[in-house]
Amino acid sequence: MNNISKRVFMKELVSYKKRSSTYLSPIVFFLITLSLYPLALSNDPNDLALLAPGITWICVLLSTLLSIQNIFNEDYEDGSLDIFFSLRSTTLSLVLIKILVNWIFSSLPIIILSSTVVFLLFLPPESLTILLISLLLGTPVISLFGALAGALSLGKSSILGPAIVLPLSLPVLILGTASVSSFLNGEDPTFYFLLLLAIFIFLLPLICYACIGALRLHYE
Amino acid sequence: MSKILKKFITFYHKLGSYPWFYKFSGIAIPYVAFISLIPLFIGLGWGIFYSPTDYKQGDVYRIIYMHVPAASVSQSIYYTMTIAAIVSMIWRMKMAGIFIKSMAPIGASFTFLALISGSIWGQPTWGTWWIWDARLTSTLVLFIFYIAIISLYSSFSEKKSADQAVSILTLVGAVNLPIIKKSVDWWNTLHQPSSIKLTESSTISLEMLYPLLLSIIGFYLIVLLSGLMAMRAEIAKREINKEWFKSL
Repeated sequence: MNNISKRVFMKELVSYKKRSSTYLSPIVFFLITLSLYPLALSNDPNDLALLAPGITWICVLLSTLLSIQNIFNEDYEDGSLDIFFSLRSTTLSLVLIKILVNWIFSSLPIIILSSTVVFLLFLPPESLTILLISLLLGTPVISLFGALAGALSLGKSSILGPAIVLPLSLPVLILGTASVSSFLNGEDPTFYFLLLLAIFIFLLPLICYACIGALRLHYE
Repeated sequence: MSKILKKFITFYHKLGSYPWFYKFSGIAIPYVAFISLIPLFIGLGWGIFYSPTDYKQGDVYRIIYMHVPAASVSQSIYYTMTIAAIVSMIWRMKMAGIFIKSMAPIGASFTFLALISGSIWGQPTWGTWWIWDARLTSTLVLFIFYIAIISLYSSFSEKKSADQAVSILTLVGAVNLPIIKKSVDWWNTLHQPSSIKLTESSTISLEMLYPLLLSIIGFYLIVLLSGLMAMRAEIAKREINKEWFKSL
């Protein structure tokens, strides 16, 4: 069991590494959208510093949308998902590993890149750690919703993914930006971090089983 | 007591059968239509023509007789859909899937009505069509949820798996909606101190309350009526080639 999980994990890492577009396109998209905001809104550092947490969060949210179709689609098309579903005991660990690897490849680079908002959007450097912690706690939840949307819209490319992920991730967006702006107002952001963590822990089992249910629909 | 319970259980089981529901709803629809029109007409007529004018807002407040029932109905429909989703996940009852599919557009339209009537009401009283208030935002999110559920249907060709997929999404949405509501409340208190209080129900006088209650009852009955009609139409759509349907 443990051995299978390990092999699936390695296989996922290799397959993501081989398709460089799957993890490069969110990064490129993130940088482009980030640079659009100063052009459209204002180039005044004070204005941008005020808006920086919100802009960063929106860009992160939108760029993770790009990768949700990849979570289950390839395995569905080449048939390896069929095999995993015939070994009933491995489905939960398979879903968990897939979400984890997707997060590592689509969210983690963006989180690291988002430290550039200190230069690009003039975010006050002392609040950068708060932004990064809120992203680290919030993006796994978005990945969970992305996995659910990917499982529900398997084999179809449509507006469905964003239509499911965006309304569901509203609390994460609100709490994530609120943590940074409360820090800038001189308050303690721990409250928001704990809430983000609570949302993640609460939703993790729920969404995993919903994903399994949604994937099983394609084999009925 | 147990006899009534038994009768109720057999009634509940019969609801799961397509031919029985088709026949039952055919009989029930005219009665429900008749019964629903009475409180709706009395409530709206009394509210719009005979209830006293509000001392602060004038006659504008009369849109309350549309707005409050629509807003109340829009949330209740989602709760009933959640129950149907649980039923459909656990017992795989086909009727629960049909229920969700028929109720989602109805819920979306009532949520839309609540949003539109709210903004028409807001323009003369607050001086703005829209405000990013906690309640308005969560109603907007509810509307987006209905749209997502409806659009999920169109992406499945197989009816049975579409029903299951929509049940999953409805359940996840039902778990997430309270979180959204709570976080919107926090967000609201953080970004703008409460400038407008929407809750002023304690000041409502009885002459306004009675027609309001009547029109709320009327709206619920209209939802029941349109739900029955939509479910009947959906059954007809799915079973058009079946023997029992042809022999009707």
